[in-house]
Amino acid sequence: MSTVLDIQHLSVAYNRKGLALEDVSLQVPQGGIVALLGANGAGKSTLIRAVTGLLALHHGQITGGQVHMLGQLVSGLPAHRLVRLGMGQVPEGRLVFKQLSVEDNLLVGAAVLPRAQVKDGLDAVYHLFPRLLERRTQAAGWMSGGEQQMLALGRAMIAKPKLLLVDELSLGLAPLIVADIYKQLRVIGETLGTAMLVVEQNAKLALSFAQSAYLLQQGRVVLSGSAAMVAASPEMKASYLGEARQAGKASA
Amino acid sequence: MNKTSKPSLSAGAWLWLLLCAAVLAYLPTLLTERAFLGMPLSNTQLLNLGLSQINLMLISMLGALSLNYLTGCAGLISIGHAAFFATGAMAAAVFDTQLGWPFPLVLLAAALAGALAGTLAGLPSLRVRGLYFVLSTLAVHYVVTYVFLEYQFKYFDVVGIPYATPRLGDWELNTPVRWYALLLPLVVLVYWGLKASLKSREGRAMLAMRDHELAATSVGVDVRILRLKAFALSSAIASVAGALFAYYLSNVTSEAFNILFAIQFIAMIIIGGMGSLSGSLVGAAIWLLLPSIIGGLSPQSSESNEFLGKLLVEHRAQLVQLIFSILVIVFLIFAPGGVAGLATSLKNAWQAWRAKP
Repeated sequence: MSTVLDIQHLSVAYNRKGLALEDVSLQVPQGGIVALLGANGAGKSTLIRAVTGLLALHHGQITGGQVHMLGQLVSGLPAHRLVRLGMGQVPEGRLVFKQLSVEDNLLVGAAVLPRAQVKDGLDAVYHLFPRLLERRTQAAGWMSGGEQQMLALGRAMIAKPKLLLVDELSLGLAPLIVADIYKQLRVIGETLGTAMLVVEQNAKLALSFAQSAYLLQQGRVVLSGSAAMVAASPEMKASYLGEARQAGKASA
Repeated sequence: MNKTSKPSLSAGAWLWLLLCAAVLAYLPTLLTERAFLGMPLSNTQLLNLGLSQINLMLISMLGALSLNYLTGCAGLISIGHAAFFATGAMAAAVFDTQLGWPFPLVLLAAALAGALAGTLAGLPSLRVRGLYFVLSTLAVHYVVTYVFLEYQFKYFDVVGIPYATPRLGDWELNTPVRWYALLLPLVVLVYWGLKASLKSREGRAMLAMRDHELAATSVGVDVRILRLKAFALSSAIASVAGALFAYYLSNVTSEAFNILFAIQFIAMIIIGGMGSLSGSLVGAAIWLLLPSIIGGLSPQSSESNEFLGKLLVEHRAQLVQLIFSILVIVFLIFAPGGVAGLATSLKNAWQAWRAKP
């Protein structure tokens, strides 16, 4: 099985001091869905930033290790180049272009496609999210959180990425909407064959969605394996899923 | 704002366009003959306006359009716009007053000089953001005006730089009507050009960059190149406007391009509406014409009251400024989105009212 994303011994530091990630290795196989789990401050966002080339914006730098995508070394490439190589992103907090219309948001995402494919791309997104078609001409900032999340997802998938990085999709959304969007995400994975790395606070949800998972703790991978295995592991239960001791924290 | 676009204009829109064209075509006749279809009109009836003011307004519109493209559409706040006007005026001085190039070539040279200066001025935008960037444009302003001053005193004198009457072949731009005939199509051209550029892939990416830089990067927009391009295009237009401004006045000094000159363009686009190209036109019109309209209204009302009359006559310039400032402030309190924002909310209200059963 070939890997789409291959992270080898990655270490990251902010402001040249204190490692935020230490010797992290992670693989996303072709067409696979991998969940990245961990509590606040475990290094999930840092990992995403390192992969997407946005570390410099946060005064961070890769101090060791490499990232390959589809066999090509991508660590160190500027963020906008990665998109053209097939990396799609659904950033944390959705970050739609608020003053632009829904369709213009999608068209910005479609700018890496050949012009002839733009129309088909739009149709595919509207087919998946009919709600976006209804709101086509509306300014994105006026939509609900769930609709904005659909838009952020559509904006990323319209470029037909080989790898999709999904960061905190469920943040601030109603559970029903989250379930619905995850369902569509699965459809995207199945129809386009897109591999996904999904960062999610809601571990239960992520483990039911992904095939395999990595658990980060203080910048290190402490556990990895199939989703079922990780879900059943004592480490996971103790530190994350929140048995009695941490119930309040996990449900927040 | 530039939200949606219909593929073709409706019949109503065509009618409006035709009406606007008719008014604009008739305007020079109206303002030079001071009569409407043979019927003489008083100064007050003509709102105390002359074609000269209209021409200066058209030049300012070029400045406002280019600044709104940069600030409202690309999200780069700049107080260096006077510097690019000065660049154009300087280019015209070098290539026309000194070297005697033909007018169209001088404008082209001014555009290139502006694009170059703009690209240089835009370089800090690759490293710094927000207020720090605004400060870097302020630095650009002082550097360019200093160069202008040195240039003026080295080759000319304290009176300023003289500019010859420009000519296109045999057609000399020696009357306000002829200037109007040149400036109006130019403004329309720049307006449509910028409008079309915003609908292109790059234009859309630029608006996206303004809305959220990180998100734009995450979908493959190279924000650094886009910033420099926006800066180059905006300053090229401002520079051409600066050259035209210098020609129109036929003599300028370095003081013409002071910091207030730069700030007035910011005022125009705030009044007109950030990010709205048509708003920039309205903003420039308000900024350039309203003071003279207010000034034209004052003498009549003064006759009734001795003290007020005296006050109005003696301090007319200050009073005009005062009333104008108050109007602008009141307007911005009630319409923070400028004219364009006001128009959008009125349109929404109208549609909501019509949709009601």
